[in-house]
Amino acid sequence: MSDHTQANHTADHAPGPQPGATDVARALLRAEGIGISFGGLKAVQGLSLAVPPGGLDGLIGPNGAGKTTAFNLLTGVYRAQTGSITLDGRRIDGLRPHQIAKAGMARTFQNIRLFGNLSVLDNVRLGAHVRGRHTLVGTLFRTPAYIAQERAILARARQLLGVFNLLSRADEPAKSLPYGDQRRLEIARALATEPKLLLLDEPAAGMNPQEKRDLARTIQRLRREFGVGVLLIEHDMGLVMDICERITVLDHGEVICHGVPAHVQNDPKVIEAYLGEPG
Amino acid sequence: MSAIHELTQKNRPGVGLTVAHTAALVGLVLGTGAVMQWVVGPAAGIYPATILRQIGIVAIAAVSLNIVNGYTGQFSIGHAGFVAIGAYAGGAVSFYANSLGWVGAYDPAGLLTPGHAVMLAGAAIGAGAAGAAGYMVGLPSLRLRGDYLAIVTLGFGEIVRVLFQQTQSQVFDPQAARALPISGWWPPPLGGAQGFSSVIPYGELFWIYAALALTVVWCYRLKFSSSGRAFLSIREDEIAARAMGVNLTRYKVRAFVLAAALAGLGGAFYAHLNLAVQPKDAGFQKSFELIIIVVLGGLGSISGVLLAAFGLGGLTEWLRQPTSVWPAALVALALVGVVQAVRRDIDSRARGRAMGRALLVIGVLTGLFEGLRAFAAWQGFKLDDIRIVLYALALISVMLLRPQGLLGTSELWLVPGQLMRRKAKAAAAPSLRTAGPADPAAAPATGVGGMGGGVTEAGGDEGWP
Ligand SMILES: Nc1ncnc2c1ncn2[C@@H]1O[C@H](COP(=O)(O)OP(=O)(O)OP(=O)(O)O)[C@@H](O)[C@H]1O
Ligand SMILES: [Mg+2]
Repeated sequence: MSDHTQANHTADHAPGPQPGATDVARALLRAEGIGISFGGLKAVQGLSLAVPPGGLDGLIGPNGAGKTTAFNLLTGVYRAQTGSITLDGRRIDGLRPHQIAKAGMARTFQNIRLFGNLSVLDNVRLGAHVRGRHTLVGTLFRTPAYIAQERAILARARQLLGVFNLLSRADEPAKSLPYGDQRRLEIARALATEPKLLLLDEPAAGMNPQEKRDLARTIQRLRREFGVGVLLIEHDMGLVMDICERITVLDHGEVICHGVPAHVQNDPKVIEAYLGEPG
Repeated sequence: MSAIHELTQKNRPGVGLTVAHTAALVGLVLGTGAVMQWVVGPAAGIYPATILRQIGIVAIAAVSLNIVNGYTGQFSIGHAGFVAIGAYAGGAVSFYANSLGWVGAYDPAGLLTPGHAVMLAGAAIGAGAAGAAGYMVGLPSLRLRGDYLAIVTLGFGEIVRVLFQQTQSQVFDPQAARALPISGWWPPPLGGAQGFSSVIPYGELFWIYAALALTVVWCYRLKFSSSGRAFLSIREDEIAARAMGVNLTRYKVRAFVLAAALAGLGGAFYAHLNLAVQPKDAGFQKSFELIIIVVLGGLGSISGVLLAAFGLGGLTEWLRQPTSVWPAALVALALVGVVQAVRRDIDSRARGRAMGRALLVIGVLTGLFEGLRAFAAWQGFKLDDIRIVLYALALISVMLLRPQGLLGTSELWLVPGQLMRRKAKAAAAPSLRTAGPADPAAAPATGVGGMGGGVTEAGGDEGWP
C-alpha cells in the first residue's frame, strides 16, 4: 500500500488529478475534501491537500479561484463545512485560529497584516508569544521565570530579525518599513511561532525580480534551517515552478490539477483556466 | 520542546533580580507617597493638597482604564462602575470596622494606625470585588466588538448604580451595628439612594500617591511585557493577533479584570477622601470623564494619561481661580517641543511645520485664556460659572488639533532613548549606504548593544523598573 503511493508520488509523470493518489505516507498537513460556500457561491469545494514534513508545495489558480479562502479554512478563520484537516496527525478542523497556531501552523496574509504601530522587534516578539506561558503574577512581580522567558523571546526575535536582515530596523514602527521588508517581516513573525507548516499567501506580490530571487532563496533556506514545511500561494509562475515540489491548481473553488511542476505546466486544463476558453 | 522553552530553561536567573525589581517597586511606591505627603503637600497648602488627592484618584482610574481602551483597543464606557464598587467596598469596610470597635478612633497624626491597616485591607477587598465584577462582565461581553461592547459596559455602570440604590440604609449607631444579626447584613447596609457616608478620612496624600505609583508601575510593566504586546496586538489587528496564537477572549478578559481591579483600588481611596459615596458615582458621567482623560492623553500612553489627568484637573481649578497662564504656556511649549523632536514618522521639514502649528495653537490658547480672564474681570463674572462650556471647548479643540491624543501611544520616559537612537542612526546611515542594503555585517552592531541592555532588564529596551 505505502509502496504503491510512494511509487506514484515519485513518478515523474504523476497520473492525473486524483487527490489522495499522490499523498505521501505520513503527511504533515492533510486536508480531505474541505469546502465552504458563501451563500450560493462555492468558494472552495472538495479540496484535498497533503504536504509532507518539510515539503514545499504550491497552491495556484486564477484570481478568485479560492486560494485565500483555502488558507482561511486551514487556519480556522472559516470553519470548513465539509471535510477534515489534520496537522501532524492531529485533527485541527473546528479549532479556533489561536489553537491552530499553537498546534503548529502559521501564516502570512495577502494584504499584509502587521501590527503597524508596534516596532519591528515587537511584531516578531508577539509571534514568539504563543510558545510561552504568560501569567499576570509573573508579569507584575517579574518572577525569575518571567524574566528568563522575556529574555528568551527577545533573543529569539533578534535571531530571526538577523536571518531576515531586519535587525538594523528593529526599533522602527512596522508600518514605516518599505513594502518588501514588510512582507519579509510578516514571514519572520510567522516563523517566531515555531510552526511546523508555514502558509504564505502571495509573498512575492509587489516585489521586483531581484527581491523575488532573494525571497525564493530565503524560503528554501527556511526549510533547511527551521525544518518547516511550506504551502505557497503565488501568482509568479516562474517562482512557483522553480521552487515548489508539488503544485495544486484551483479554479472556481475546485482542484483541476495536482502534481509536480512539469506535469502541471503542460496540463491543458491549467492552460485553459489561465488563458480562458479556447476558441 | 519549543525553542523559547529551551532558551528559558537555560537562562533562568536567580531570585536576586526579582528581589531587586520588587525592592524598586516598593521603594518607588513608598517614595512617591512620602514625597507627596511630606514635601509637596506641605509646600502646596491644605486646599491644593486636597485637589492633588482628587486628581491622584482620578489618575488611578484613568490609567487603569487605559489598559482596556488604550492597550487593548476595546471601548469600555462603564469604568466608573468598577470605581464605585471599590469605593463602596473600601468605605464600608473601614466604616463598619470602626463601628464594630475593631480599630481605635481616627488619629489625624498617624499614617499607619490599625485603622489604616483595615483601610488597606478594604482597598484590597474593593479591588478584588471590582476585579470579580470585571470578570463577570468581561467573559460574556468581550466577544462583542466596538459599539456593542460599549453598550454593554454602559449598561453595566447603570446596573451597578441601581444595585447600590437598592441597598439597605446605613447603620450609623455603633451599638445597633454590633447588635445586628448575621442576616441583617444582607442586603448590605450601604445607604441605598442616600449613599454611604461618614467614611473615616484615611485618604492621605501618602496612601493615594502610593496607590497611584503602584498602578503606574504595574501598568508600565504590563505594557512592556509579552502580555502587554498581546493586548497591543489585539488593538492593532485582531485577525493577525489570533493567527499568531493570541487567545483573544483570554487577553480581553485579562485586560478587563486588571483594569477593573485597579479602578476598584482607586475607588477605595475615593471613599476615604470624599468621605461619602453615591450611587451616581457609578453612572456614565463619571465614566465619560475618565474616557476623556484617556483619549486626551493618548490611547495606550501611561504618561500621556497622567499628563491629561493633571492637566484637566488643573484646568478645572484654574477656572475657579484664574491666574496668569504664561507659566503654563511655557511648560506646554517645552513639552510639545520634546514630543515633536522624538517623532520618528516625519522628516525635519514636517517636524518644523508641526512645531510651528504647536506654537500657533499654544499662542492662540494662551491669548484665549488671558483674554477670557481679562474679559471676566472686566465684566465682573466668574469663569467658574461657564466652566462646562469652556471645558467642552478645550476638549473639542484638542480633539481637532491632535486626534491621537497628547502623546499618541508613546511614553515620555522613552524620549531620551529615542533621541539617542535617532542620533546613532543618523551617524550610521552613510556607512550603511556604501555597504549596501543587505549587508549583514551592519546589523549586529545594534544587536549587541541591545542584548547588553537586555541583561539587566526583563523588558528589553524599556528600562527600569
Ligand atoms: N467572506 C466571504 N464572503 C463571501 N464571498 C467570499 C468571502 N471570501 C471569499 N469570497 C469569494 O470567494 C471567492 C474566492 O476568493 P479568494 O479570495 O479565496 O480567491 P483567491 O484565489 O485568493 O484570489 P486572488 O488570487 O485574487 O487572491 C471569490 O469569489 C470571493 O469573492
Ligand atoms: Mg487570495
